[in-house]
Amino acid sequence: MAYAYLFKYIIIGDTGVGKSCLLLQFTDKRFQPVHDLTIGVEFGARMITIDGKQIKLQIWDTAGQESFRSITRSYYRGAAGALLVYDITRRDTFNHLTTWLEDARQHSNSNMVIMLIGNKSDLESRREVKKEEGEAFAREHGLIFMETSAKTASNVEEAFINTAKEIYEKIQEGVFDINNEANGIKIGPQHAATNAMLSSSQGGQQAGGLLLSPSFCLYPPLPAGLTYPPPPQTSP
Amino acid sequence: MLTRVKSAVANFMGGIMAGGSSGENVSGCDLPLKFPYMRPEFLGLSQDEIECSADHISRPILILKETKRLPWATGYAEVINAGKSALNEDQACCEVVEVKKRTGGSTPSRTPTAKRRSSLPNGEGVGLRDSADADGLLFHYWALFDGHAGSGAAVVASRLLQHHLVEQLQEVLEKKVEHESLVVGALENAFKEMDAQIEREKSVYNISGGCTALVAVFLLGKLYMANAGDSRAIIIRSGEVIPMSTEFTPESERQRLQFLGYMQPHLLGNEFTHLEFPRRVQRKEVGKRMLYRDFTMNGWAYKTIEDEDLKFPLIYGEGKKARVMATIGVTRGLGDHDLKVHDSNIYIKPFLSCCPEVKVYPLTQYEHGADDVLVMGSDGLWDVLSNEEVSEAVTGFLANCDPDDLHRYTMAAQDLVMRARGVLKDRGWRISNDRLGSGDDISVYIIPLLHGNRQP
Ligand SMILES: Nc1nc2c(ncn2[C@@H]2O[C@H](COP(=O)(O)OP(=O)(O)O)[C@@H](O)[C@H]2O)c(=O)[nH]1
Ligand SMILES: [Mg+2]
Repeated sequence: MAYAYLFKYIIIGDTGVGKSCLLLQFTDKRFQPVHDLTIGVEFGARMITIDGKQIKLQIWDTAGQESFRSITRSYYRGAAGALLVYDITRRDTFNHLTTWLEDARQHSNSNMVIMLIGNKSDLESRREVKKEEGEAFAREHGLIFMETSAKTASNVEEAFINTAKEIYEKIQEGVFDINNEANGIKIGPQHAATNAMLSSSQGGQQAGGLLLSPSFCLYPPLPAGLTYPPPPQTSP
Repeated sequence: MLTRVKSAVANFMGGIMAGGSSGENVSGCDLPLKFPYMRPEFLGLSQDEIECSADHISRPILILKETKRLPWATGYAEVINAGKSALNEDQACCEVVEVKKRTGGSTPSRTPTAKRRSSLPNGEGVGLRDSADADGLLFHYWALFDGHAGSGAAVVASRLLQHHLVEQLQEVLEKKVEHESLVVGALENAFKEMDAQIEREKSVYNISGGCTALVAVFLLGKLYMANAGDSRAIIIRSGEVIPMSTEFTPESERQRLQFLGYMQPHLLGNEFTHLEFPRRVQRKEVGKRMLYRDFTMNGWAYKTIEDEDLKFPLIYGEGKKARVMATIGVTRGLGDHDLKVHDSNIYIKPFLSCCPEVKVYPLTQYEHGADDVLVMGSDGLWDVLSNEEVSEAVTGFLANCDPDDLHRYTMAAQDLVMRARGVLKDRGWRISNDRLGSGDDISVYIIPLLHGNRQP
């Protein structure tokens, strides 16, 4: 389906806080009480509308376990938005936020919009982290904040959409360089008319890049007498 | 998605075949794809997930989902290249395949197979009846394809090669299929038929580029490893490495290629010389003595340079950078029927062979533990990690896993891919000791062998 922009999100936070359930609730509008442990990265996608424009959200759901941290970390780069999730019924997941935030800030692009999410708000009776504490943490670190429930779907739409709104505003303000895909924003086919130049030059670049492939390379035969230049390096 | 893929493929065809950046007028591009571009079927990815997977910036490592199981609890992981092509040109396929006795057809009224088998000498036929019902035969099949100049050939081969193998095995089902050489022959002919099918069908379908093929088949207690290309398979048994394939590159196949150029000089199109020189010969060196080697030689000798020697060498470049006719760095595989030397009418295909080398591992003759595995990987893995590094990494990883966790082989594969891909730093993708990580597509199977011992 045609979209004006594509925003890439990443969902991070301790294991068990409800990252995969939040994604499923947002993309499929359902709650699955027993979700497989995420041990790599999983993807979801959904179209939303902001300011009358179709925006495709591409969401990367990551593994929270310490043993997969180095893999997870390598996915921060190239995300326009991050949902940093803790579980309001487990204080330790709230205490770990600082580490997650440091990680995110260090490995992502500086304009990445971070939404702090206190999940499982339906479990009021087992609450260990007050809403005010979440708000305070967010204020202190310049994050947006919401409490959600992946089970009842409360605030789930809002969390994903408000993050997109914030990114969209930053684009309007010219904060994001939308021509650099490393920022997690792609201009979609809806914009293709105005941005035809951009996308075709990218296609050309990639086709050209193929020539540097290690096992496949084209060197035009040189006129006799010329020495052959050393092949170009493969890696960036 | 489909049109996007098509235009991406068109772009490559343009880049490679036409030498320009527009793919508009490249022949074949208006034809439909035989199969849409996809990732391995067993990953069960949606279109959206496939789109996410093609992210050259974050290069997500895809793994077999926990809910998906492959035969023998096979582990699998893959990652896309760092930007050399828009799509991941590796493909994979893993299945348990049944060879059914042909019904009717050319050879009617045969003696019942089971009876004939058990009457074979040396009791060789005994295992057969257990391996499938009386009418057929089961084999396990793992395949890895590494495409180049487009994803078409790799996609087609990943969908169809096993069917060619079935057809070939059907031929021998009634004969003594227990004989290794008949299975080896079936594999060899399956590759040949696959290549012929690609050639036939490229007039009706857009089947871009070519691909290498690395195939493991477990049949009647033996593991057959067929390789055409530069992917690699090793067995790790008690921490020791047993190579199961050799790579076919301009370097390793120099003499075969030179001989062909010598016997059929028209294939060189008056542009290339079949002789090899340590460096490009310059005009001012005509009449001087220089080192060379011919197809008959492993070592070097001197010759007086003639005009003829000024032509571009058939094989040029060192190691990973060696190319056939300045074009391709791998000398066996499927497809590539349209591949020509840049800006010329010289076809490369005559120099490429689709014939695999097949090695046999008598699996059931050995006892295997839970950490004894077969590792199959595309060159993206082996370019940056040695056999020993892979062996150490896998053995170390598995030792730290719960031996009953069926997902441990996929996690080990993910770990291997991560070690080969590395992490994006200011100066590109880096792996341990600040070495350069692989910017290529990387795909890895880790197959525990003890299931072969348990196989009925
Ligand atoms: N009550 C309740 N349980 C939730 C909610 N979100 C997730 N869970 C449960 O928390 C557990 C972990 O969820 P999961 O999405 O797998 O966490 P992840 O490791 O962060 O991806 C599962 O058993 C879910 O059923 C929620 O909003 N409310
Ligand atoms: Mg999860």
